[in-house]
Amino acid sequence: MVEGLGKQFRRYHADRPHTLKEVFVGRMRHLWAGERFWGLRDVSFDVEPGQIVGIVGGNGAGKSTLLRLIGGVGRPDEGSVKVRGRIAALLELGTAFHPELTGRENIFVSGIVAGLTRRQVTKRLDSIVAFAELEQFLNSPLRTYSSGMQMRLAFAIAVHTAPDVLLIDEVLAVGDLAFQQKCLARIMDFKADNSAILLVSHDIGQVQRLCDRALWLKRGRLVRQGEPEAIVEQYAAEMGDETKRTTPVEWPVQITPAGGELRVHENRFGSMELEITSVRLSDQKGRSVADFRSGDSLQVEIDFSSSQSIDAPIFGVTITTEDEQICADLNTAASGVSLPVVQGKGRVTLHFARLDLSGGRYYVDVGAYTQNWDYAYDHHWHAYPLRVLPTENGKGVLYPPHRWEIADSSRGKLPES
Amino acid sequence: MQRLIYIRDLLRELVARDLKVRYNRSVLGFAWALVTPLMFLTVFFFVFKLALSIDIPRFGSFAFTGMLVYTWFQSSVSQASGAITSSRELIRWPGFTAAILPVVTVTTNLVNFLIALPVLMLFLLIDGTGLKSVILLLPVVIFIQFVLTLGLGYLVAAVNVLFRDTEHLVAVLLQLLFFLTPVFYDVDMVPERYRALYDLNPMVHLVEAYRAILLDGTWPSGMALSTLAVLSLLLMYLGQKVFVNLSYRFVEEL
Repeated sequence: MVEGLGKQFRRYHADRPHTLKEVFVGRMRHLWAGERFWGLRDVSFDVEPGQIVGIVGGNGAGKSTLLRLIGGVGRPDEGSVKVRGRIAALLELGTAFHPELTGRENIFVSGIVAGLTRRQVTKRLDSIVAFAELEQFLNSPLRTYSSGMQMRLAFAIAVHTAPDVLLIDEVLAVGDLAFQQKCLARIMDFKADNSAILLVSHDIGQVQRLCDRALWLKRGRLVRQGEPEAIVEQYAAEMGDETKRTTPVEWPVQITPAGGELRVHENRFGSMELEITSVRLSDQKGRSVADFRSGDSLQVEIDFSSSQSIDAPIFGVTITTEDEQICADLNTAASGVSLPVVQGKGRVTLHFARLDLSGGRYYVDVGAYTQNWDYAYDHHWHAYPLRVLPTENGKGVLYPPHRWEIADSSRGKLPES
Repeated sequence: MQRLIYIRDLLRELVARDLKVRYNRSVLGFAWALVTPLMFLTVFFFVFKLALSIDIPRFGSFAFTGMLVYTWFQSSVSQASGAITSSRELIRWPGFTAAILPVVTVTTNLVNFLIALPVLMLFLLIDGTGLKSVILLLPVVIFIQFVLTLGLGYLVAAVNVLFRDTEHLVAVLLQLLFFLTPVFYDVDMVPERYRALYDLNPMVHLVEAYRAILLDGTWPSGMALSTLAVLSLLLMYLGQKVFVNLSYRFVEEL
């Protein structure tokens, strides 16, 4: 239960003394000075046992601060946190790990730091190792592990602490998809066992799928709480507003390969910190697609360039019909593909092995977004048309490969069509 | 009860980690707990016994006792000053008890002290001092030193979070205090008129108590020992009070 929670932070003066010498030479008066601001204010909510509550919000909205305060790290300046039972957290993975110690030794240290006794760790050791799939590496020092292996180990330890309250901060993007599925299944087990779970996620789809309720934090305040669908929708809409706000007023018009024009505030939005310089739709042989046959393969090649270094941008491709029906909505983050820090020119390509769309006109929208989905760097809306040659069906978006089979006992088999 | 078992396990595991990490991949490993004081001892013997010809009987046992006691104190306090600042991740871990960290530091160094202790016993047997029954009092003195060191450890660990100079200042002060503690000379060599001032250093009485038990086989001064005990408790109280008060700011400052 969280009641009227508030946390103040000092925004220090640049000349605040940090050493004794400076204090002695008479700048004492700056010592406690510094403008204060609220990192979190007036936040109240309850989480029932057996509930998963998602927390969404942009960078610096106070999501991590909130989780920390609930975890008892730091002291709130206002309000109170009441937690019944034992807390476990997946905040920063592998906190207590030491590279020189073996996997086994690290399991003991981390497990105990996370709140288990030695006996409990000993009992769960096999299960932890099996979950992390690291049986052969148990007695090698941790420095010989890949980062993926370390993450798996950390997660395995965390999910073996059987908490009453589980705090999860943005870590479900760990490892490969199969491992993520395993982690999610484990989290659902906790839910079934009546743990209260708080989940901070930038993946709003995940919040929608997993959570019973959602909270939306904005600059330290709780803007809304309620049904995940409604919250996520409003949050996404606000993200659109934020993108419009950061879009430059004037920007040179860009011509697309198909001859269309890209104009800011019309069909192009974003802060332009990272620019999508060209988008090409092609078949597997690399030829540009003018007329697309349903069931063909399709590649979407996105060239980008950025003058500054951008940390882990997310690229997305959406295919919609002319009347705004979404046929496919894919992005690198949801697919578990993470980009490094990018600077300069680069290319991201999305491969569709086949695309079974009905005949008609579609749009391929592409975009690049900040790693938290705060706003778009560059989003091209309805700028790349995709014409699919007519297919022999009525309404409906899909035209999958198919055949009919009709059996009639009195007249024998009809030929298949 | 459950909580107590947990604290014991946590302490044990963190101490084991510190020791393993410290001696990992070194050829001599735990022997370093011995090698370092023995190397110092050799130099002391050369300088003070041979070159300056200080007249102290059984100089080996005498100086080794002082060395071990002071080393435990010095390493504990200097490492404790960085105990919080170097454990940022642990401090930010929900439910982690930061107050355990200085205890871990002092205990880790106690283990080093205990590893070297049998060698000191060997010294005593070789130079004919032998072991007297009063040695049973040794755990009491060790306990007093533990509390004294921990109290100081809490203080410097917490203050260092706000003022990172503490770490450096503490290192220098500990080095100076080494010379003001009778490690390689006898208390009687200190001129009478400075004794009152000199006696303010609690380490003087602690080393004296160890020597009374180990070298002379006599009871240490009850007066000195009880004063030390009271001082240790006071320091402990003050230290952990400061620590608890400042601990809420650790997360923000790290």
